[in-house]
Amino acid sequence: MHGVKRRQWTKDQLKQKKEKDRMKIDVYSSLVNSTLDRRDKNDHSLTALEDTTKLLDMNPEFNTMWNYRRDIIAKLKTELPLQFWDKELKFIMVQLKKFPKVYWIWNHRIWVLNNYPGSPASVWERELDIVSALLEVDARNFHGWHYRRMVVGKLENITGKSMDAGELAYASKKINNNISNFSAWHQRVQLIDRMFANGEIEDRKEFMEKEINYLTNAMFTDAEDQSVWFYINWFVNYPLVQSILGKEQYIRFLESMTTNILMINDDDIEFSGSDNSWCLKILLVIEQRQKELSPGFESHSVQYLEKLVVMDPLRKNRYLHLLSKQ
Amino acid sequence: MQLLKEKHIAYVKSLDSHTDDYEYWLSEHLRLNGVYWGLTVLCILGSPETFDKDDVIAFVMSCWDDKYGGFAPFPRHDSHLLSTLSGLQILATLGGLDNVKKDQLKLSQCLKFISSNQLEDGSFQGDRFGEVDARFSYNALSCLSILGELTPEVVDPAVNFVLRCYNFDGGFGLSPGAESHASMAFTCLGALKITGKLHLLSPEQIDMIGWWLCERQLPEGGLNGRPSKLPDVCYSWWVLSSLAIIGKLEWIDYEKLTQFILSCQDEKRGGISDRPNNEADVFHTVFGVAGLSLLGYKDLVPVDPTYCMPYSITATFQKYGLY
Repeated sequence: MHGVKRRQWTKDQLKQKKEKDRMKIDVYSSLVNSTLDRRDKNDHSLTALEDTTKLLDMNPEFNTMWNYRRDIIAKLKTELPLQFWDKELKFIMVQLKKFPKVYWIWNHRIWVLNNYPGSPASVWERELDIVSALLEVDARNFHGWHYRRMVVGKLENITGKSMDAGELAYASKKINNNISNFSAWHQRVQLIDRMFANGEIEDRKEFMEKEINYLTNAMFTDAEDQSVWFYINWFVNYPLVQSILGKEQYIRFLESMTTNILMINDDDIEFSGSDNSWCLKILLVIEQRQKELSPGFESHSVQYLEKLVVMDPLRKNRYLHLLSKQ
Repeated sequence: MQLLKEKHIAYVKSLDSHTDDYEYWLSEHLRLNGVYWGLTVLCILGSPETFDKDDVIAFVMSCWDDKYGGFAPFPRHDSHLLSTLSGLQILATLGGLDNVKKDQLKLSQCLKFISSNQLEDGSFQGDRFGEVDARFSYNALSCLSILGELTPEVVDPAVNFVLRCYNFDGGFGLSPGAESHASMAFTCLGALKITGKLHLLSPEQIDMIGWWLCERQLPEGGLNGRPSKLPDVCYSWWVLSSLAIIGKLEWIDYEKLTQFILSCQDEKRGGISDRPNNEADVFHTVFGVAGLSLLGYKDLVPVDPTYCMPYSITATFQKYGLY
């Protein structure tokens, strides 16, 4: 159970609950038994389908019942009218809204869409709108993001057209709404990497420069949240950044990052009296690159690490480990 | 606060007596997993005899799926890799593995069930309906390891897939391209450890994994599963076991995490919840207690971070590559 407040039951409340439960248990368990009997007799009728509807409405986590339902649908496939499939998607949506984190329900939905007669692009396009709406409700639901990648992949397969650029715009929108939406930052990395790999970016240099502006703004917007810093860690180490910008410009990029991060850190010192641990952690990453590129680079890493040992004691053994390697 | 051992033992013992709760009936799909979680709590607390061994083995065997092979979570349900692993874990813990290993038909059905769910890219689906998830890779490899039946034909493509779940941030996702999640660090690192393939990760990757994992610890001491999420006791296990597997357990603060886990105990009824003052359940109880064992909390039975079972049991598993 996640996030359910502990409850103290009084004797009376407990008695009432047990009475109510007794009736519910009777109805539920007799329907479970009769439906499993039908299944054992290979009953693939509409009545059996209806029984699974009733049961899954009571308990959408009953995966064996979803399995039976799929077997029935697969058997009846040629007889079922088109409306059936839309009704099925509606039924699943009711369950998903109640239980947005139940794997079985997401799994059933993708199965239904894959088996939808003709599996036309229009159905998957509608699905993309639906998953966008679900991610409005919870922008970090990883089921939702995973599902979105599947839906997009399917649409790309059907149409033969990459949707990367549009999806990157979507990820940006999500980040702009909430800068600590790491799910969207994660997606940004996937898309940028793929767009470069597939030659989808025309002016590669311009793209990189825009990305540098984007992440610089982000880090000034919220320097406390680790999402943007994990992204910066990726970007600084992403081999294409150096190869596209060229060594000289890449070194200048690292220098300007350092200046900006030190500025953020100085603001924090002025405001709260202490360094920003993420600023120091990422300065370490940047210095690592600078040391590799410029022999004789004057490093501050030992100093940063010694500060981190004191100011971020939860992780002090990591810093001591890094110190031992300096 | 101390670990309320007796309360937790009593709590686990009471779980099967809730047949008059509607929720008990609604959770049949997790029953075999629940038995494994409860039994493992009892083992770590040094009280495995609290459950009647023969009754438990009989229940496990009643979950056998004659049609597809493997274990279902409950009699008459369908088998799934998730419940098949729980079934084998319970049998191994109670010394009942021969019920499968020495039964030629069951063994071959079980192996067929597992290998038939491996897909072309090396991934595993949980059952015949196509849901792919790194959890199922772990389930399958752990099952085969317990049975001493790992082969390069299964392992090599499986490992290939698991490595593709590694992300730029040092975490692992449920499939290639999916966002990092602490539970997936456990399943992926566990899968690599079981198959003796951890060396396929570079030292830089191991450092990055350690970094991402230790950043899960929040100021209050608890661990979260992803950036900007709340702490939750179950991540004590997913994160800690992962750190233990890569030999970086000390990268988080033991004392603060210990206090967080202990603060999630239900002092009246026993059991541990996800966060302080929430409803306890056996899932969070096992991962809280197993986490404390990894942290070296006093008088607990040592737990193997790769299998989430007592070392005394996993020591009997054949090491892959040495068959």
